[in-house]
Amino acid sequence: MYHDNYEEDDLAAEVELVTSAQFTQDTDVEDGFGSEGVISSQKQPIAVEIPDIIKNFITYFHRNVLENNVYELHTIYEVSFNKLTDRFYAKQPWPEAELISPLVDDDQVFLTLYRELYYRHIYARLSPSLQDRFHSYENYCDLFNYILNSDFPVNLELPNQWLWDIIDEFIYQFQSFCNCRNRVKNRSEEEIALLRDNPQIWSCYSVLNVLYSLIQKSRINEQLLVNKNGGDMLEAAGEYGSKPLYKMLGYFSIIGLLRVHCLLGDYTLALKMMDNIELNKKALFSRVIPCHVTTYYYVGFSYMMMRRYADAIKAFSTVLTFIQRTKQYHTRSYQFDQIAKKCDQMYALLAMCIALCPTRLDENIHNHLREKYGDQLSKMQKGEDSMNVFEDLFQYACPKFISPNGPNFEDPASLSQAIEPYQHHAKIFLNDIRNQAMIPTLRSFLKLYTTMSIDKLAAFLEMDAEELRTQLLIFKQRSRQQKWTTGNLLEGDVVSTSDLDFCIKQDMIHIAESKIGRRYGDWFLRNITRFQDVIATLEAKN
Amino acid sequence: MANLAMNRPEVIQSLIDGVDRYNPDNISILEEYLTTQCQNEEYDLMANLAALKLYQFNPHLTNDKVIINILVKALTAVPAPDFNLCLYLLTEPMIIDEPIQQLTSLQQLLEQSRFAKFWETFNSDPSYEKLVSNVSGFKKAIRNLVARVVSMTHQQISVQLLQSYLDLKGDDFTAFVKEQNWEVKDSIVQIPVNKDNEAKTVVIRENIKFEQLTKVIGYSNEI
Repeated sequence: MYHDNYEEDDLAAEVELVTSAQFTQDTDVEDGFGSEGVISSQKQPIAVEIPDIIKNFITYFHRNVLENNVYELHTIYEVSFNKLTDRFYAKQPWPEAELISPLVDDDQVFLTLYRELYYRHIYARLSPSLQDRFHSYENYCDLFNYILNSDFPVNLELPNQWLWDIIDEFIYQFQSFCNCRNRVKNRSEEEIALLRDNPQIWSCYSVLNVLYSLIQKSRINEQLLVNKNGGDMLEAAGEYGSKPLYKMLGYFSIIGLLRVHCLLGDYTLALKMMDNIELNKKALFSRVIPCHVTTYYYVGFSYMMMRRYADAIKAFSTVLTFIQRTKQYHTRSYQFDQIAKKCDQMYALLAMCIALCPTRLDENIHNHLREKYGDQLSKMQKGEDSMNVFEDLFQYACPKFISPNGPNFEDPASLSQAIEPYQHHAKIFLNDIRNQAMIPTLRSFLKLYTTMSIDKLAAFLEMDAEELRTQLLIFKQRSRQQKWTTGNLLEGDVVSTSDLDFCIKQDMIHIAESKIGRRYGDWFLRNITRFQDVIATLEAKN
Repeated sequence: MANLAMNRPEVIQSLIDGVDRYNPDNISILEEYLTTQCQNEEYDLMANLAALKLYQFNPHLTNDKVIINILVKALTAVPAPDFNLCLYLLTEPMIIDEPIQQLTSLQQLLEQSRFAKFWETFNSDPSYEKLVSNVSGFKKAIRNLVARVVSMTHQQISVQLLQSYLDLKGDDFTAFVKEQNWEVKDSIVQIPVNKDNEAKTVVIRENIKFEQLTKVIGYSNEI
């Protein structure tokens, strides 16, 4: 049995044996990978032996793909593949598809899926050369062509997690390509020629085309509408959309578009992509945790960039609460590190939003926030050195923005002065929040009074009366935000998001503070339940 | 997003809803629609962002005049963040261009509510007037914006201060104040109370939902 070949105990023992042999080989290969974007790909030593365990693994893997055994594939994909990677391919690529092709009867579909993993592994653990990037793109084209351009729905079933990862990785590689395309400094002539002659590879239009085609083929938007408003699901889904493969790929493509548009700085369009998806626990995205996290991260980030801080806060705290509650399930996940990083970024964004729009948080989340970003939060709230803190947090927590077009290779001057898209977005964002830098201070003073003359407050704040009036106008405007209540994500009413409000009567400021009455309900409910338990125990003892 | 276009033509609606929004051939439709907005004092952010999107993907189509008109329109929507949402879709070399820099400085003044300074800057150089010349009713739109902010914040404001915010004097000022249904008494403008300028202390009370009680009600059944 294949299983016997890589039982865990067995594995540990064998790792010992192979490490010494492996290491010498690794250093050789590593020299080859050194700098990113070297044309010569990390080729395998020609006569490399594929270990028997790997051979068996691949045959077993192939058989389960053929049999559409989603349950087994789940384990193969999430557990075995990663374990074997750690053991044999931590520092070198998996065997090339051509080498394993005899093991799988030259099954092209399987080889395409295998290459998807092969390149993903190179991206994750090694550094992809320009050629790897091109080949990986072509492989995605093969995969999507196979799925989209067949006369009948293809007979293939893959675990949801894998389907999500396909879309996620496709976009990641697109983003990674866009960022590396702009760094032309150390490129050889040959590479520049390659980039110049192949503008269609990893172009925005081709990426959007894939995502939209998957959405259309799966009729996912129609399906979501039926889900929301009722109707005949089978009819809405159609021949392709009723297959889980198509349905999930279509659904994940919507989330993918949310992400792509966000990376491009189009925040309204990003949220518009979510028109048919309702953000709640029943939504499909919650079935795959990384997808769940991604969705809320980009929704929250888009809201933040649209100055809808209250909505951003809600998005971040919802998903962070969810992650905290389900911690035990994903600490074991192979993507745990990534999830943890995204959460950390969301705490940073949450800290920024809280500073920009003071809001009472769920206690749990608030404690975590203070633990992680307590210092930064208090600096931002007190307005000390706050712009630097905002900048640092933004840089750490923002997505990797991309510019949709490559450099102009005809114009050498423009090549040298390409500006990172990050700079562009950070500059606009920071300029925007700089305008409200005085608000925390102003707020702390206003909280102390119910009426106050403008001149007197200006003297306290050591500014002239005219400047204070200006700051009050800013305060007022920034305490009003569009906030979602119902409908799709872009909708919302303009409401007051501050507990502190004021009005000016000529030279006097009249201040009012909303107070939150004490909450008794929760306390009583908790204790009723507790007493009930005590009574139940007592009765049981009788 | 203030003054959302209520009468968005169907062609535009279906264009921005579907994949057609990526088709470079449609840029002329969006550009024409912008021209109508500029002439008729209408405003449709979503359609204008769609035009900028096409420029983003197809830099060779970029039309500087259109971009300027879109940004001028977005100025009139302050305090909504429209202007920045447009800037995010442009590139760094584009926004350091002189005309866009000029508009950005106007935007900053509006965002900072430095209205008197805004007019001072605007009137200091005829090039500003030229920049906004395609957008009819620009000054009126800015004055309405000022009026919105003032009425959110004030119940009373001195005539002199308001005049500097609006860059209006004499009969023009009187007419504007009347149009807003404000009253002038002893050089003080009285602004009626609205939901934003009344500053009332509110105590937010707890609202217990039925769902919270289901468990307790369940117990009572057992007894």
